[in-house]
Formats: sequence, C-alpha cells, structure tokens
Amino acid sequence: MPKALSLWSTHRFWLGLLLELGVKPRNIVLSSDTSEAQFRKYAKGRVAVETCYPAKCLSGHVGQLLLGQRRPLDLILCPMVYSLPSFIAGRVQDTLSCSRDMGAVESMKSSFLDEGGSGNGRLLTPLVSLGEPAIAERQLAESLAEPFGVRRRDVVRAVRAGYRELREFDSEMRDRSMEILSCCARQGSPCIGVLGRPYHMDPGIGHRIVDTLQRQGYPLLWNQYFPKDEALLRWLFAPDLKAGFVSDPLDISDVWPASFSSNTNEIVWGAKFAARCPWISCVVRLSSYECGMDQPTHTPVQRMVEASGTLFFKFGDLDATKPSGSIAIRTETVLHYLAERSESILSQKRARLPPQCPLTQIQAEVG
Amino acid sequence: MSAHTLTCAVDVGSTTCKYVLCDNLGVRVTQAYERHYTRQAEKVLEFLRVLEHDFNLTPGRDALLMTGSGAGSIAPLLKSRVIQEVVAVAAAVEAMHPDVRFVSEIGGEDMKTLFLTRTGSARSRQVYMQNACSGGTGTFIEKIAAKLKLSAEALSRMRYLGLPLHRISSKCGIFAEADANTLLKTGVPIDEIIASLFEAVVLQNLSTLTRGKTPMPSVLLLGGPNQFFQGLREAWLHHLRTMWKERGVSLDGEAKDLIRIPEEALYYAAMGCIQTVSEGDGRAPVYRGTTELARWIAEGRELRKREQGGTALWRTAEELASFEHRYTRTAPAPAAPRAGCSHAALVIGCDFGSTTAKAVCMSPDGELLDSVYALSHGNPIEDARALFATIRERTGAAPVRALGLTGYGKNLLDSVIGADLAIVETVAHATAGLHFFPDTDCICDVGGTDVKIMLLRNGAVYDFRLNSQCSSGNGAFLQGVAERFGIALDDIAARAFAARSMPRLAMGCGVFLQSDIVNQQRKGWSVDEILAALCAVLPRNVWLYAGGINNFAQVGRKYVLQGGTHRNLAVVKAQVDFIRSKVPEAEIVVHPYCGEAGAIGAALAAKRSVGAGAKSRFRGYRAMEALRFKSTTSADTQCRWCENQCQRTFVDVRVPGGPGRPRSKVPLQPGWDRIIVNNSCPKGLIEDPKEVKQVNEDIECGNGAYPDVGKLAHELAFRRQAARR
Repeated sequence: MPKALSLWSTHRFWLGLLLELGVKPRNIVLSSDTSEAQFRKYAKGRVAVETCYPAKCLSGHVGQLLLGQRRPLDLILCPMVYSLPSFIAGRVQDTLSCSRDMGAVESMKSSFLDEGGSGNGRLLTPLVSLGEPAIAERQLAESLAEPFGVRRRDVVRAVRAGYRELREFDSEMRDRSMEILSCCARQGSPCIGVLGRPYHMDPGIGHRIVDTLQRQGYPLLWNQYFPKDEALLRWLFAPDLKAGFVSDPLDISDVWPASFSSNTNEIVWGAKFAARCPWISCVVRLSSYECGMDQPTHTPVQRMVEASGTLFFKFGDLDATKPSGSIAIRTETVLHYLAERSESILSQKRARLPPQCPLTQIQAEVG
Repeated sequence: MSAHTLTCAVDVGSTTCKYVLCDNLGVRVTQAYERHYTRQAEKVLEFLRVLEHDFNLTPGRDALLMTGSGAGSIAPLLKSRVIQEVVAVAAAVEAMHPDVRFVSEIGGEDMKTLFLTRTGSARSRQVYMQNACSGGTGTFIEKIAAKLKLSAEALSRMRYLGLPLHRISSKCGIFAEADANTLLKTGVPIDEIIASLFEAVVLQNLSTLTRGKTPMPSVLLLGGPNQFFQGLREAWLHHLRTMWKERGVSLDGEAKDLIRIPEEALYYAAMGCIQTVSEGDGRAPVYRGTTELARWIAEGRELRKREQGGTALWRTAEELASFEHRYTRTAPAPAAPRAGCSHAALVIGCDFGSTTAKAVCMSPDGELLDSVYALSHGNPIEDARALFATIRERTGAAPVRALGLTGYGKNLLDSVIGADLAIVETVAHATAGLHFFPDTDCICDVGGTDVKIMLLRNGAVYDFRLNSQCSSGNGAFLQGVAERFGIALDDIAARAFAARSMPRLAMGCGVFLQSDIVNQQRKGWSVDEILAALCAVLPRNVWLYAGGINNFAQVGRKYVLQGGTHRNLAVVKAQVDFIRSKVPEAEIVVHPYCGEAGAIGAALAAKRSVGAGAKSRFRGYRAMEALRFKSTTSADTQCRWCENQCQRTFVDVRVPGGPGRPRSKVPLQPGWDRIIVNNSCPKGLIEDPKEVKQVNEDIECGNGAYPDVGKLAHELAFRRQAARR
C-alpha cells in the first residue's frame, strides 16, 4: 500500500484488515516515507494533481511499489477514501475526506494504466466510505473478495477487525497524549500543540519542522490524538458549557458551521482544545502549499488560539523543498517566545478554568 | 492548393524572427531567420521589404500569416491573422513527421510539450506550456553558463552521458545558480555541473509538462537549446530510453533513432501556419503592404507606449509634496560620538548579516549614539574585529554595559566575543519595531539580498516569510539595474520621481524581469521611467511573489518598513500606495533607523537581559583585536553522518585554554577552539564517531523525556502486526 494521503490516519484499519484477510505480515509492503528522491525516481512526470504536493506525491509512492520492488507485488491497494472515521462524528455535518484525495487516486491510476503501463491488473483502487462502517463493509466486500480470493463475509469480518485495530491505536495515542498532559500539569511545564493534517506526520511532507522544538525540551501533542478524556474535556470546556455555547465539549458548531471535512473539523476542534488547555502554551500550525481545505480555517484557527493568549506560529505553504534556513529562523523564534512567555501564558490560561483540575486530581488519587 | 499566388508566414519569437514564403502549391520559395535584438517590428518590416523587392510578394494579391509570441501586436498593423504558435508547430509536425507522437520545444523563456495521438483517422493534440518561470528554459541554461564563464560555443559541445551528476534545483534559475555556485566552490568540475544542469532541464520538462502521460516514440526535439546543446540531447535520450524501458514501451528500432532533431525546426512554426490554412479552405488574409507598420514604427509606437504605460509614481505635485513631507527621513541622526565621550557605558548591538555587518552603540537609556557599518568579508569573525576596532576608536574604548548579537553569524560569535545575548533576527527586528511603534502588526524588511516579512500579534512574531534565494524584490536587484545605467544608489529615488509615466513591468522571476527591462528600453522608455517602474513593481514582488501574502486583512493595519532599501523614498512611495490599495486604512511608517533595526533590537534585548549591577560578558576590545582564527572548507570538513553530506566549514579560533582537536581530520592544537558552521543539524557539529553515538542517545533520551506524539504515531502506525494479538 502507498503510505500517502488518508493512509496517515487510517493505517491501522488497513493493516488490521489485511492481516485478518490472512495476508502474512512479510507480504505486506508499504512504500517508504515521502521524499524528493522517491518522487524524482518513481513519479517522473506521472503528476497527479498540480498544486497539492501531498496528492502529487501519491504517484511517487505507487511508482515505488510498481517499479521499485525486487519481486513484483501481486496487488497494490490504493483506496479512494470518500469519508473518514472521526472522533467527532455525529457532532458535525459530515466527515468527508478531501476531494483531492480521491481525485489523486483516479488521476494517478490513469497515468499508470492509460498507456498499457506496468500497473495493469495489479492496481486496486476501491471507493470506500470509511466514515460509515456499514457502507464500507459492503463496498470493500464487493471490491476485495475476488482479488483476495475470499468470501464476502470474510472481508466483512476483516473490515470489522480493521476498525477495531484503528480504534485501539487511536486510543493508545490519546492515552499517550493524556500521560504527557498529566505530566505537564504535575510539573507546571509547557508543551506544544501541533495542528495539521495527518500526513504532516510524514517526514517528507511535514519536513520534521517540529523536531527542533522537541529537542529543546518541549513535548508535542498532535490534534489527531489530543486526549478526549471526559473529565478533562468537561473541565476545559466548563465555561463554554455553562454559557451554553456548545452542547458538549466535542461540539464545534459554535465556530465552524460548515463542518463537512473530517480533517478540517478535527483541526478546528484541536484549535479549541489547544486554546483552552493551559499547558499548551504554543500552537504550531502546519499547512501545505495552496491547500484549499486549510485556506478558510487559517483565520478562525489563529484567532481562536491567539484570543486565549496562546502563542501561535504558522508554517504554511509547505511543499517539496525543505527551506532549512527559513525553518531554522522560525523555530528559533518559536523557542525564544516559548522560553520568554510560557510561564505567564500557563498561569493566565489556568486562572480561567475551574480550580479543581482533573489531571492533578488523578495524580493526587494515585499518589 | 492555396487561393493565393504566394503565401508568407512570419514567426516573431522572443529572440529571432523567421519567415517562410510558399507558392500556391505549398512549395517553399524562400526562408530566413535573424535575431531581432528586441526590435521586432523593425525586423518584420525589413523582412517584408526584402520579400517584396526580391521575391515579388505583392500587396492585394498574396497572403500573410503570423505566429510567435511577438506577433500579437504587429499582426493588426498588417491586417494579418495570428495562428497560435503551438497550433502551428503541431500542424507542421503532423504534416512532416506523421509518426511523431511527442514533441518538446524548449524556447528562450518558455517550454512546451505536445502529445500527438492518432486513432484511426482521428487525431488529437494535447499541449502543455510553461512560460511563467525560468526553470527548465533556455535562459535557465544560459544564465548559469554565463556564471561559469562558458562561451555559447563551449556550452554547445558539453556532454551529458558518462558524467557524474549532482543535485541542481530545476525549479528556479536562481536556486539553480546557487546550487551551481556551491558545486563550483566544492571543486566539482564544470562539465559535471553542466551535465547536471541538462539533467535538471529534462527532469523539469518531464515532471511539469507531461502530466502523467508517457512521451511515446517517435520524439521530436525542437527549439534552440535542444538544437544547439549536445549534452541536452543526450540527457533526453538517456531519460526517454530509461522511461520506455521501465514502462514497457515497445520500440521500433534503436531509441536514439527514435529521437530526432530536425534541421529546419526553426521554421516549423511558420511552415505550420501555411499548413493550417491549406488544411482549411486555403484562404488566408490578403497581404496589405507595409505602410501602416512603417507609420507605426515612425510615430504611432511612441503614442501607444504612453497609452499602455501607467502613470508614474505620483499623480499630482501636491500628492508628491504631501508624501515627501510625511516620509522624508525625520530620524534624529545619532549624536556625533566623541573620543572619550561622556557616556559611562555603552549598550552595543551587532547584526551580522550575509552581506553587511552593522553595530549600534546606545546609551543605557536607549538613546542611539553611534552606528557602524561594514561590508561583510564573508567571515563573521573578521567582520566583528573590524566593527569593534571602529567602535573602540570612535568611542575611546568606552566600557560596555551589555552586548547583544543577531544575524546569521550570531551563534558563531556568541562565545568568541563574549556576548550577553544572541537572539534570532525576527525577535531582534520585532523588538526594535515595537520599541518605536508599540502597535505594529507587520514589519517588512527589504535588505540587499533578502526580503523578510514579520507578522506580529500580541507582541510576538507569529509568522515569518524569508526569501533569500530569489532575487525578485530585493534591493540588490534594484541597485544592480541602477548601476548598469550608471546611476548611484542615492540618486535612484530622485530619478524615479522625475518620471511622468512608466512602463508596466511584469511581477515575478528576476531573470525575466531583467529581460523585460531590456525590452522596455528598446521600446523607448527612458532610464528614469524604467527606474520608476522598477520601484513600482517592487512591492508586488515583495508581498505577493517573495512573501506569498494574499490576505492583507489578516496582516493588520500598522506596517513598519525597514531595511536599507526603504531609505529610497521612491520605493517607500510605491510601498505606501500598494499597501493602501490593499488595506485603505493602513498606517505605514518607515523605521527611523532603517538599516540598523536588527542591531538596535539586539542591543535593547541585551540591555534587558543584563540585570542592574551585573557585568557584561564582553571579552574586551583588546581581546577582539588579538583574535586570531583560520577557517577550512574542504573534503575533510564535509559532514558524513547522513546522506545530505553538508559542506561544513571549520572556523578555528585562538582562545586561552582552547581544547584543540588533535585527532580531527583537520587537526587543531591546544589553545584553539573549533566552531563548526554550515551544518544543518546537531550531528553536523560532530567530528568523532563516538560523539555521534552520544548525540543519537541524547535524541533518543529526548524522545522519552519530551515525547512527540506525531513521531510516536509514525513509528507505531505502520507495524505489520496486529496490536493486541
């Protein structure tokens, strides 16, 4: 499978599904992280979509799977993901994936297949509504049973295993975030909230921009895996709930009514969370070049974060080149303000919340 | 068969004009091409007169067609029809090379690809074209060849096959130039650099102009660069051959025989015009003679130039006067420093930039006493020594209360000079900006070689745009043009304000802007008018092109302009007008100390960091004078810890108690300390493999102590086993 686009948030679903279908672990091949070298070597003009770099990179990933293997692969599974599972599903209008996400698969496919190329017959690109498990079961049963030589009900079982696997992974990551926050709460120390799309975790897309911040002693939480511990959220959103701005802490209708896009919704919710969480003294926003989905969120996200006194830094227009010089100056800037202001930001944000903090309480109980 | 006795087609390109004359059966009577040196209209007139005189081209009887990037403005004067050049080339290729499926045409300032498909009797053409950026075009190659001092002759003979290749950015001519420079400095032979350049051009064409399609054989390579550069043709052969093999394209013969460079390719656009007409009803616009073209060259052009141009930098004398009144520099000049001046202590701020080094001396109350400026000699230690020698002389070695550094040299010099604080440029500029204008939303610093835009909120820089790789919009570009016109830097503003109208220059790529200037000059615009136009286009380049800022409402309303380029009032006027056009209520101020803002910020921050009664860490003027150093950049200093292989420089400084590095590849005696620069990560500071292990362990340890959930998810998410089984 190509490690691109939606796979950065649905990885465990697909791996769980393949393992349940009986594919041996050693027979599952994933493309490597995105890199300029990968794109140069394997995409060579098979450009999918012009401006969106993450979408463009799909060709490099698929090319690597088609052309860069010692033994040819039997199948290359590159799903066209229509909608995504999301922890705020039910409170938003929809959890659709970006249209470029699907468009990229379609145009990549034509570029590899149109001219009788080497991908024929091996490239499997099922349309799947992962946001709606019942539909996804049917879609995948239809598209995968035959290529994998299994019965439809085996696929349905595998789909369920995939969802289980993904849920477990997401909750494991949230637990880690919760541990980090608890630790910050105990020590009264700051951490950084990263707002981005899942593929910004790919070193070739996010350019490891936040690494330097971590090396200087700041833990990093990513919005996809912000904790959703009920007690913590009730505490953080207590003033909003009391004022009736939202019906529950995962509600974003107060700031983002057009909540159709899954990742966008999660970024917006992440901004709300980071703005309220006292230990997140700084938010780093990552965004790829000319991302049409991110565009309308820039101002509201920044305003929300800044209004709370939290530091906000944007690394926008990321594409193939890693502008090392400019990134170095920016991260140094971030570090300067973090050191200078974290303490006062933390105490200001803390003062806005009810005195009883569940994070320090848990600690008191354990202690 | 044509309805006309003779049909002439003229192709007006960016560097040359060509014509082809055919009889009514489509047989070529004559053809020619000549460089027009940007006098396109004159060249066309000359051609037509020759054709009338020598070949009996007759107005009212024969036909005239036009094509090429310059045809648009000339064709109406001749009542001729313009056929889009790509359409024309495609028609010629289809007629003359029915087996060709892919055409690449690389021009001086553009590149095109053409996919021709044939299904039964149906034909389809798909054209892709790129003309906004120099990357991958002829100019791109020539610019670098000029930098390497290669003649066109030598360049045409340079090879590609069999030579080691290096990484050269194919995206922008200016990035590529920087890459080529680095390669040259590290000792890479010129033929390898040029081979790498050909590689970059072909890759750029393949990656941006094929859009997922495979160029199928046979292939035709057109345009000057393809025709003249042997290495470029070899690069095409290499890549197409590899691609065909990889994609299982069956070849009807040897790959090299399937890639052709036709000798008469220059005339394809012109021939294609005639072809296009003959494929239709055979009727072309009747040739009406040269009278109107000649009249236009003599008189009308001047008129049109004025019509097409914009008003100059100002509309009314009152407007200009009010602007000058508001913006003429009102900054108090620094008090003239005296030897042994009465100030008991100085607060010094230094800004070590890439081209200049600046220092300011302030009183502990924040009053600017003196500023010192020196062109950088490329080594910050040398620059620092020079600055401090001047400060010592001018202030009578006044004691230093606090010392702050900023700029790219700050980390290197921090311990060498004994600074109290080394801060990043953005914070230094923001500190200086906020000191004078506390409600600043945006600081726009246009220096000699880079453009910095700092966006502030709550007194902190939340976003920062730096463009140090693209010359578009920087001061050096403006200065460079003025110098070529023989105009001193300080006179640019007066000359630009003298213009009453000006041409419109294209925003964007500096390489193209340069050629646009030459064009405008040939069109008759004066030096003053061109300088005004350059000042006018600068804000667009700064904000839109280099800064990538489109949403000005988000930026805010108070703008501070600083950096040496804003000493030029004409630029300030253009900036003010541009920003106001985006944010009508904007308040725009020029920093009172335009060029010294970074150094002032460093001084102010250092003053704050050194508490009352505390002593500065400054090593003293004498220690600065005694500073000895040597720097080494060689194969031995290259970093080998990862595939990036950064070309580091070792700067060795003599300091009391320096540990030395006896076992280094570049050994260093005790009494010296080594500072490693030009590394891009912490591993680059290491020479000894044992240290790498330690650094890796530290990084691992950091992962445990300060976890990054994103990194963790990246590590765990792609395991090939189920989580809980």
